[in-house]
Amino acid sequence: MKKMSFLFLCVLVCAGIAAAQSQSGMKKRRPLPYEYGKVVINNYSEKAGFASVVFDHWVHRSKFTCRLCHVDIAFAMKGGGTNIRAADNMNGYYCGACHNGKLIIDKTAVFEACAKKLGGENGRRCERCHSQGKNVKPERDFMEFASRLPKERFGNGLNWEKAEADGYIKPLDFLESVSIRKPALAVPKEMFFEPKGAEMPDIIFSHKKHTVWNGCELCHPEIFVSVKKGSRKYSMEEIFEGKYCGVCHNAVAFPLLDCQRCHSKQV
Amino acid sequence: MRKKIAYCVFILAAAAALVCSVAVFPDNAFRSAGIACAQDDWKAEFEDICFRTDDSLSLTNEELRRLVSRCDALKPRIEKLDETERKVFLQRLRMCRDLFAFVLESQEKK
Repeated sequence: MKKMSFLFLCVLVCAGIAAAQSQSGMKKRRPLPYEYGKVVINNYSEKAGFASVVFDHWVHRSKFTCRLCHVDIAFAMKGGGTNIRAADNMNGYYCGACHNGKLIIDKTAVFEACAKKLGGENGRRCERCHSQGKNVKPERDFMEFASRLPKERFGNGLNWEKAEADGYIKPLDFLESVSIRKPALAVPKEMFFEPKGAEMPDIIFSHKKHTVWNGCELCHPEIFVSVKKGSRKYSMEEIFEGKYCGVCHNAVAFPLLDCQRCHSKQV
Repeated sequence: MRKKIAYCVFILAAAAALVCSVAVFPDNAFRSAGIACAQDDWKAEFEDICFRTDDSLSLTNEELRRLVSRCDALKPRIEKLDETERKVFLQRLRMCRDLFAFVLESQEKK
């Protein structure tokens, strides 16, 4: 009888904790590898009678650098922050910069985004992006794509950096008539940051690794506003809230759970 | 003397033809070419400015200041463009300008 009461008490306590967590929204379900980096965009879609747009970062980052889309094409760094309209795409901007039925990627023309006439073939095309809540079979299968790439523990479960270094992916950084041909990038030196907690190894920040995909203006000064090293303290709380490193490293790039990828100085 | 008169008549006729063609055919090639030129004008300036972002660290403070000024001068011209183009290029110009200002400030504080 005592055992039964103890078990009942345990179940009650667990249920209480679970209920409290779900109500306060403290514990979020960790996204599955193919979901990591997914952005749902609904500025105008539902008002126009369409499903929201589901944008998978993994498909796009396997083909293009972050800089190409967030600097040259001018996509905002926050989901829905760009306020993309169908007319923008049809004019050849934003999604329409590549999704124009003309750009050839992997020997295939990239399908055209948005159309004035709906229905028929166009209707099916709409659903390739306006797919939230719909059972649309994606053209590219994540598992098949991921099977040949170097693995990691978190996020998409892939080591994107190694994937590029080993030649599995070759992200484009230039789009004709959109990008500007520039001189070679001047890369600043690596930086070392001392963490607040003495038990953690120092952080090595590699400008080289970051600029190869991001350029300079993607991070400075919008994300990192400080002009002098050490003049600003970055707390893990703020980073987990999506500031500083957390803008990318909690959304698209390897997540913050992967401590030793930043706290990487040998001790 | 005759040669001079003939030359003047030719110039006047050419000018009149140009004015008439613009007035009669509002979408003619001359006008399109003019618009294209004006468009290329701001775009060329935009590209010439933002071309420097990747090597902004190697620029002098004076060069950076000049680039920031050029961004500020270009902004009103981009603000006159169509909605989509305006949105895209204002964002791109802002990123260039902010980076130049950032590098300038960091160099001045060194």
